[in-house]
Amino acid sequence: MDLPADTILSVQNLEKTFDNGVRALKNISFDVKRGEFLVVIGLSGSGKSTLLRCLNRMHDPTAGKIFFQNENVTDWQGPQVRELRRKIAMIFQHFNLVTRHTVLNNVLMGSLAIMPTWKSLLGLFPESLQKKAMGYLQLVGIQEKARIRAGQLSGGQQQRVAIARALMQEPQLLLADEPVASLDPATCHVVMDYLEKVNRELGVTVICNLHFLSLVRRYATRVIALKAGEIVFQGSPADIDEEWFRRIYGESAKEVHVN
Amino acid sequence: MLTKKNGSLKALILDSFTFGYLASVVLLVLSQPDESSLMELGRNTLIFSLLVAVGAVVAFILEKKGVVSLGNFIFELAHLKMLRTPKAWYRNFWLWQLLISFVVTLIVGFKLTDFSMYDLLDESGFQGAVRIFSALLSPEWSVLPRAVLAIIETIYIAFMATVMAIPVAFVLAFFAAKNIMGRTVGGLAIYFSLRTLLNVSRSIEPLIWAIIFSVWVGIGPFAGMLALFFHSISSLTKQYSEIIESADEGPIEGITATGANSIQVVWYAIVPQVILPYIAFTIYRWDINVRMATIIGLVGGGGIGTLLIQYQGQAMWHEVGTLALLIVVIVWSMDTVSAYLREALK
Ligand SMILES: Nc1ncnc2c1ncn2[C@@H]1O[C@H](COP(=O)(O)OP(=O)(O)OP(=O)(O)O)[C@@H](O)[C@H]1O
Ligand SMILES: [Mg+2]
Repeated sequence: MDLPADTILSVQNLEKTFDNGVRALKNISFDVKRGEFLVVIGLSGSGKSTLLRCLNRMHDPTAGKIFFQNENVTDWQGPQVRELRRKIAMIFQHFNLVTRHTVLNNVLMGSLAIMPTWKSLLGLFPESLQKKAMGYLQLVGIQEKARIRAGQLSGGQQQRVAIARALMQEPQLLLADEPVASLDPATCHVVMDYLEKVNRELGVTVICNLHFLSLVRRYATRVIALKAGEIVFQGSPADIDEEWFRRIYGESAKEVHVN
Repeated sequence: MLTKKNGSLKALILDSFTFGYLASVVLLVLSQPDESSLMELGRNTLIFSLLVAVGAVVAFILEKKGVVSLGNFIFELAHLKMLRTPKAWYRNFWLWQLLISFVVTLIVGFKLTDFSMYDLLDESGFQGAVRIFSALLSPEWSVLPRAVLAIIETIYIAFMATVMAIPVAFVLAFFAAKNIMGRTVGGLAIYFSLRTLLNVSRSIEPLIWAIIFSVWVGIGPFAGMLALFFHSISSLTKQYSEIIESADEGPIEGITATGANSIQVVWYAIVPQVILPYIAFTIYRWDINVRMATIIGLVGGGGIGTLLIQYQGQAMWHEVGTLALLIVVIVWSMDTVSAYLREALK
């Protein structure tokens, strides 16, 4: 497969039909360039989460191909899938931290994939990894919380820990599934700003599901809109006018602003 | 659709059995069979099966006529229940079916347990009970040293059975948890066979295990410990796996997405969530095992139970009283301590 050199991900005719018969993704094709901040929008149930989970193989696609860094990863199995997941980090709406472990431990868990199993079970994370973890905690501005249990942090802080855990994987691509959907508007921007920093300063490509158009306009370099499992819009955020908005979200929709 | 079919099948089975059961009781009362004909298990099973079959026909006809039987009432889907117009309570067929079955069972029960006010209030029998009671209440303290040694043995039997069951149950529990094994067909097969095995072994009472092992390794504490060990494995595995099944999916997804392997996912995402409930359940299991170890001793499992059955056999009621008192004190204090510990672990 000869893709342009700056293409990090290429999705071709991707299909996903769940065991219960729901066709969540229909013939999805798009490319992502290195360094992009791609935002995926669409109504609830349009297939945004399913799309992201196919990219890191948390779901297995039914048909179609996924090329990551010029390699066809669609049929990868076992250790290869784990290596893929290491390179494609993910953060979630509900943060998905291990709340009973400390913040630092949670960040260190981002390096499980590169640790020998027995060492990781004994919790023997080498000094270098601990330093690195502290560094990423500093990057997201919560290094002073390192020794606190993750469950005791606020939602916004937990999401920042999740970002630090993701960075620990040294990913080339970061998937974010509605990372700010359970946060208040102010915290929303804090977390989004860190994602932007990761994107711009560390050069990590980001694919992010979002609900609010104001956030999309502020952070996205490019937008894909899904409707009932199909791509109905691809382009720059500035191009989403009233007309497109109604096509994506339905006739009766009104835009809500988050500032 | 499938559930409705399932529901009406269950209803039909339940109704057939209640009808067949009532008919059998009626038949027994009418025919007044003697001892030898009651002993003919094969023939009687056949008669009972026939009556159940007749019951099934009756239930089927009732179903077709739209009568709401007990089975329908219990297994019918909630949204169908809502649709029915309410009737005066005494006009409900299912209610009479339940009431009659219950009253008949109660009467049969009185008969089978030889329930008799006469025996209960009989002068000489009552005197005997009073004698034993007063003996129990005036313990013979000279056996206390032996009793204490025996109950220490009992506590250790329970402790060893619990502790040795923990690692086995810890590992088995993951294979008996649906959220872990349900992802692949092979996993599901292991899950179902293990669940079945556990359910069967759990339905074998420790008392039965104790009888088996007292023959196998000889009467004594080792037999009792093995009996409780096997019972604890199946009980703990069941409880542990239910805790795993109720674990939050979030961390599991989060750790899996980092590229960690499944052992790492179990250790980092699941174990931290289950460890406290595990400890609470395990303490509770030890507590239960102390009580069971006492009973198991009665059939040769060692400890205080074995001592108790010896004194009881020789009608040494003062000594039995001492042991009973000691058991009460130990069981009560273990119960209290374990309740406090479990509360603190919440
Ligand atoms: N594991 C699953 N099994 C079966 N169907 C699923 C599964 N996950 C999602 N679906 C279905 O696939 C469709 C797309 O779901 P998805 O979660 O991708 O939507 P979404 O765009 O992320 O929605 P939301 O904004 O609510 O998160 C929905 O119809 C959903 O019911
Ligand atoms: Mg979603």
